[in-house]
Amino acid sequence: MATGTDAETDREAETGTAVRLENVRKTYRLAEPVHALDGVSLSVPRGSYTAIMGPSGSGKSTLMNLVGCLDTPTEGTVIVDGNDVTTLSGRERTRLRGTEVGFVFQTFNLMPRLTALENVALPQLFQGVSGDERRDRARELLARVGLADREDHLPSELSGGQRQRVALARALVNDPALVLADEPSGNLDTETEADVLDLFAEFHDAGTTLIVVTHERHVAERAERIVHLLDGRIERIEQLEGVGVEGGPGVDAEYESGTVPESKPRNGPTEGDDGE
Amino acid sequence: MNPIEHLRLAWRSIEGHKLRSALTTLGVVIGIAAVIAFVTLGASLQVGIVGDISPDDQRNLYGWAADPDTEGGPLAGAQPVFSQSDLETVADLESVDAAYGYATIQSQAISDGDERVAQGDGVIAAGPSYVREGNLEEGRQFEMGEREAVINPATAGQFEENVSVGDELEITFLGGQGATVDVVGITDTSEGLSPFEGFESSPRIYVPTDPYYAEQAAGMGLGDVGPDGGDGDGGGDGDDEVRFLAAVVEAESTAEEDIDDARDAAVASLESDESDASEFLGDDLAVTFQTSTELLQQLQDVLDLLQNFIVGIAAISLVVGSIGIANIMLVSVTERTREIGIMKAVGAQNRDVLGLFLTESIILGVIGAILGTAVGLAAGYLGAWYVDLPLVYPLEYVALAIAVGILVGVASGLYPAWRAARTDPIDALRHE
Repeated sequence: MATGTDAETDREAETGTAVRLENVRKTYRLAEPVHALDGVSLSVPRGSYTAIMGPSGSGKSTLMNLVGCLDTPTEGTVIVDGNDVTTLSGRERTRLRGTEVGFVFQTFNLMPRLTALENVALPQLFQGVSGDERRDRARELLARVGLADREDHLPSELSGGQRQRVALARALVNDPALVLADEPSGNLDTETEADVLDLFAEFHDAGTTLIVVTHERHVAERAERIVHLLDGRIERIEQLEGVGVEGGPGVDAEYESGTVPESKPRNGPTEGDDGE
Repeated sequence: MNPIEHLRLAWRSIEGHKLRSALTTLGVVIGIAAVIAFVTLGASLQVGIVGDISPDDQRNLYGWAADPDTEGGPLAGAQPVFSQSDLETVADLESVDAAYGYATIQSQAISDGDERVAQGDGVIAAGPSYVREGNLEEGRQFEMGEREAVINPATAGQFEENVSVGDELEITFLGGQGATVDVVGITDTSEGLSPFEGFESSPRIYVPTDPYYAEQAAGMGLGDVGPDGGDGDGGGDGDDEVRFLAAVVEAESTAEEDIDDARDAAVASLESDESDASEFLGDDLAVTFQTSTELLQQLQDVLDLLQNFIVGIAAISLVVGSIGIANIMLVSVTERTREIGIMKAVGAQNRDVLGLFLTESIILGVIGAILGTAVGLAAGYLGAWYVDLPLVYPLEYVALAIAVGILVGVASGLYPAWRAARTDPIDALRHE
């Protein structure tokens, strides 16, 4: 499933849904049970751009971990790229994560002793892709994020924005069903933040499914919709207008908390290539 | 993920901590070096001793009669029982090439013309073939019944003007009597020619048992005849026969069955009722014949024991070295928790992580083993050179050392690597 064509076939079979959560609960057994997620249902269409917002403790991270196949729910089902994560073995889950999920973290999380090129190629290393193929693919992606001339630099020799571009290139290297970004611009200044978000928009336009977790309104507003979490439930889903949605069954969200989704015109200050 | 990639990535992280990796490896280096050094020294020591047995000596059987319960080296507890006619009978046996008595004649001094040097214990009476052709630097073997001698270079060098073949020496025996000998040959080594003499270098004169030992025994009432100075007073009746404390029997060839045949035949002949020796032999006196190799085996056993003991102590430092690797790998796993989280997030399976950390500790172990082998060989050779032993290359130990290095790497890396593989990626990614 490492190649693009296979993934595409799978996507078509799965009626254009990258991720679907059905009544998902996640309970941590601490001194007393903590319901990190308390019955969440959400569908993320292919090619969509979703932002997830919420205060601390609202369940954002837990949701990320579940969608990213890092964790399994206590109850309910999580379906990633047509695979029911709850029924997979640990090894299969790791495989699915490796091939169908790309991660972008707030702290970049690049391997400190590997060059930009090697960092981008790392996910394919674990999929058994040959060295030459990995290098070609990594070069192609570094070029797309505008770092073709930095491939031999170590992360410590790159600026924050450049590191996050490398991380984005790494997230995309296996042509995943979705890219999960956790506060991707949290460690960046305003200018580089705009650059990175522009890049996100660019990949979104090219068909990548994006889920961005953030607590910053202006970051969330670059998405097509914002899912607001509160106390482990979906508080409301906010549709943003003026966003080009290519094909797909549009936004299809179920939620339990009963709040009426509020639509709001998009007032993003950065125009760039978003509106096209 | 293939092994080459494992190696590459593991090497990266070792490179990232050069000093730490070097110090970690040091424990293994010292352990393996100590083991290899002692093994090399031991092997050299053994070759130094066993290597002195020339191929001809391999077919010689050295015999004496002693209480079968006596323990010890050559001639331990030996009593003079073999008569000349006994030995002649043995020599006539089909499976025996030659047989002759062996005795050390106590001397006081040797003179070359006017020059006189003190020499005790250095006159050895034996058969002509005792000095093997291969050991002769010049001249020939002495002949039985002649007043001839073969000397070794140490004896020749004692005099201001080196003694050479054709010279005449005068030996003063312990009792004060003198005898002249014609030097007919000089050996190529000053070391002993048989285990009876010991293998150390010292001045020696080889003479025929007849006439020298026969005269001595008759004149002194068979005084001291053993190299150990055992006071054989047995020939006090000194009327007829001269008795030998020790005998040398030469087998047909160095083949084990020939040696066994010769041994069996010689023992049977000497213990038979017809022999002169049989009158002394009984429950508390039995004839023993052994080859140099067999005699050396005892010494070798002691050496082996000593070596195993030292190697065992050296091996302890290997264990310490392994613990060092394990410790540093555990630190490394904790330190790189985040990296482990990243790798797992981007699709590394548990066994990939396990493999990476295991590869790392194996690399440390193998580097330690290779360096340790080099250092150990150098130290061993230096030691062997210092005590003047031949250099031996214990190649199988080098291979073994590498194997031990891998083993140390696996043993010390397994638990840390397992911990790394088990790391929960969610916690790991949150780790600072």
